[in-house]
Amino acid sequence: MFKKVLIANRGEIALRINRACRELGVKTVAIFSEPDRESLHVRHANEAFCVGPGPVARSYLSIPNIISTALITQCDAVHPGYGFLAENARFAQICADHGLTFIGPSPEVIATMGDKATAKRVMREAKVDTTPGTDILESVDKARRAARDLGYPVLLKATAGGGGKGMRVVTGPDELERAFNNAQNEAEASFKDGRLYMEKLIVSPRHIEVQVLGDNFGNIVILGERDCSVQKPSHQKLIEEAPAANLPEKARKSLHAMALRAAEAVHYTNAGTLEFLVSGDRVYFMEMNTRIQVEHPVTEMVYNIDLVKEQIRIAAGEALGYTQGDLRPRGHAIECRINAEDSNNNFAPAAGTLTNVVFPGGPGIRVDTHIYSGATVPPFYDSMLAKIVAFGETREAAIARMERALRETVIEGVNTTIQMCLEVLATDAFVSGHYAIDFLPGLLRQADAA
Amino acid sequence: MPGNNVVERVRSLVLAFLDTDLVRLRIERDGGHVELRRRASSRPVAAESPEPQAQAAAPQNVDAIRSDLVGIFRFSRPLPVTGDLIDSDRELAYVEALGIRNPVRSLGPGRLVSVCCDDGKPVEYGQTLFEIQRV
Repeated sequence: MFKKVLIANRGEIALRINRACRELGVKTVAIFSEPDRESLHVRHANEAFCVGPGPVARSYLSIPNIISTALITQCDAVHPGYGFLAENARFAQICADHGLTFIGPSPEVIATMGDKATAKRVMREAKVDTTPGTDILESVDKARRAARDLGYPVLLKATAGGGGKGMRVVTGPDELERAFNNAQNEAEASFKDGRLYMEKLIVSPRHIEVQVLGDNFGNIVILGERDCSVQKPSHQKLIEEAPAANLPEKARKSLHAMALRAAEAVHYTNAGTLEFLVSGDRVYFMEMNTRIQVEHPVTEMVYNIDLVKEQIRIAAGEALGYTQGDLRPRGHAIECRINAEDSNNNFAPAAGTLTNVVFPGGPGIRVDTHIYSGATVPPFYDSMLAKIVAFGETREAAIARMERALRETVIEGVNTTIQMCLEVLATDAFVSGHYAIDFLPGLLRQADAA
Repeated sequence: MPGNNVVERVRSLVLAFLDTDLVRLRIERDGGHVELRRRASSRPVAAESPEPQAQAAAPQNVDAIRSDLVGIFRFSRPLPVTGDLIDSDRELAYVEALGIRNPVRSLGPGRLVSVCCDDGKPVEYGQTLFEIQRV
């Protein structure tokens, strides 16, 4: 096992990784930016180093300062969390070049699966169904011809993308040029890679993803699916649940089989997630995230497994201590993302000082957060403040518990998504488990019209 | 006379000592030594004339030279010493990171009023390494 791990992240996931390390008897080194000096992840780590000022490009993305920190503190591994450098193949390679174990898959797999267009080609070769689409589109003219062949509506996506950035729905030829330019600029700004590809838009699909774990001995297991269809208009997830409600058994089997095939095709190691679009019984591979996901706790709750510890054990060279047959999900888990956002104003992010913070408790509730009363929410980073996760023996019990937990939660000082989550939980669509990715945008349009 | 000479030298030493912020000074030579200690009450106390004294004591026009990367701090030669007058943009130290020697410069002339880091110690981004009074 590792002696000391550098946590190359901030916020709740940095704390989450710190907890897993501590429980495994592994020392930790936190990195932080100047505005994060008072953050909990800094306080709880064994050592902490400031690596730069507020803007991420000069702190949490500063590879030289992060690697230098790991070396001078004699770390033997780096956990990237999610976001920032988590899917940066070059960073994973630089870690390896400096004798540091990157807690994640190999740089080659990150590069293959991180490039969305390449990943789709690899998946097609592995007989995994993908949405009809194109390779990289070099120009608007090529995009125009591709859209004509696929048939509108189509979706433009950044090949380096994620989190809904660099993505545009195009419903007709009039919108194409503008959407192409906007998506390209956004992708360039977000990922320094403006290349786009196109997919046929599957109308009103569900966004369902499958958790995989693979060790260095060729063992790969599937840890069920998560339904992440409650998404903001920007395609960012707001509520996730495991397992997916009302999923036809044929679709579930197909999802799990394709996820396994996909992971095996690239000899996947460590934790990863395959995202699919599901329409009725049809399942289409969308992309793979070669890291831990924000929403991993819902899987942990129903499988009673610590995915972050598993990541660390696998990276340290341990074999999975179980087979697929040993894994039995139980109950239902729902996660609500509590963001510092104004849901009445297009989820505009908010920054400021949190004057009062009270989190829920009681049976079946888990809160992953980095905030506290008096903490400051800097303007530089993701707006997520906390993840509230509710477990129940049934989906109904989990919903009731989540509603109770959200009502117990107090966060004062900034606008949050608590009320929005409560409104979603109260809808017939959510309660019945019949919703797709256009559900929340539709709900917001109804509210605007009212 | 030798005796008077010693007294004069100690008197000079005391006067020089009083001009500093030092609390203890010990000089050993030829088997003998002289040690000066400042009693807490011998220093001007804030209550007597709080703000004007504090302002007068604080060096004016002081720049902090900070590290802009993470690494191991090393002094350059000649060793920078508190009180040094720096006549131009001088390399005071360097931060070793990923095998690269990154110079820390005085960023112009001035008087070195404090050295804030020990040789061989890790430094983080933004950490103050030196303070220089611009003259």
